[in-house]
Amino acid sequence: MKFAVSRFNPDTDSKPHMQTFEVAVERGMMLRDALLEIQRQDESFAFRHSCGEGVCGSDGMNVNGTNRLACITAVSDLKEPVEVRPFPGRPIIRDLVVDMSQFYQQYKAVEPWLVREDPMPEQEILQSPADRDKLDGLYECILCGCCSTACPSFWWNPDKFHGPQALLTAWRFLADSRDQATEHRLNELEGPYKLFRCHTIMNCVEVCPKGLNPTQAIGHIKHLMLRQGV
Amino acid sequence: MSRKLSGLGAWVLQRATAIYIGLFGVALLGVMLVSPPTDYAQWRNWFADPLVGIATLVFIVSILLHAWVGIRDVLIDYIKPLWLRVSLLALLALGLLTWGLWASQSLILVRLV
Ligand code: SF4
Repeated sequence: MKFAVSRFNPDTDSKPHMQTFEVAVERGMMLRDALLEIQRQDESFAFRHSCGEGVCGSDGMNVNGTNRLACITAVSDLKEPVEVRPFPGRPIIRDLVVDMSQFYQQYKAVEPWLVREDPMPEQEILQSPADRDKLDGLYECILCGCCSTACPSFWWNPDKFHGPQALLTAWRFLADSRDQATEHRLNELEGPYKLFRCHTIMNCVEVCPKGLNPTQAIGHIKHLMLRQGV
Repeated sequence: MSRKLSGLGAWVLQRATAIYIGLFGVALLGVMLVSPPTDYAQWRNWFADPLVGIATLVFIVSILLHAWVGIRDVLIDYIKPLWLRVSLLALLALGLLTWGLWASQSLILVRLV
């Protein structure tokens, strides 16, 4: 099977180019396995990966034009030649390895931790099963970055717009009955950039390998703002 | 402009005006289908009705606000140099204001002349 992968060596190249490899496909082969085979053919080829089962979120990349995780993408489902590129819009460090620091900065900016005003209880903070259910579809995010790097609004303003991942996380804490910083969180999201650059394009929903829905989370934030505002 | 107005305010405004523009459009279409004014005098009479006048005025203002928020969004997305963005926003404001005045002028004229 033919694979065209994007190559970029910062020391010698001025821009990335595609290089074609032939890989013998085995039954049940995932794209990550194919990339490892390519690496055996040319050990200078670089890409990130770790767990190999869609949990760590390391091997996000653009495959035939769509952001996905290589380790849970079966090569048999892909159209030949398989074109593999780094995440769009991110500065390339080498081959498929990109600089995700802006993505993590946006994550950090939404203060992804529980904030309590009340004194901490002796043991855990209790939560009803119904309240716990509100976190389903939010807490599962593995920070792979497939969504934010597929988002045009994030391409244009990665320094100011939080992007779908960080906004999903913002809602994850707003929706948490144990969190007591709603006011503060909503105030932080005001202004034209951080939240309101989202134009409900919904690329994020389409690509999320965990089947999460950042657009819906963003909608929930806007409605909560509205309810608090009037 | 306050922060509220540029974020949540703008977003709400865009949606609220969209609803009004849609409703007004449907109403206008309805009138045109059911009993369209056939000559100039009828047109004038129709517009001279205070209810139609107010509805049209709200429509004009809605278009202005809607266009302002929408085009401002596009400029924020794509135009990075601040001087260029501010100039384009100023141009937009001027253009919208001119159109708004021109459009409401006909509403006033129809009642005066
Ligand atoms: S929301 Fe989905 S696509 Fe986005 S970072 Fe989390 S797991 Fe990845």
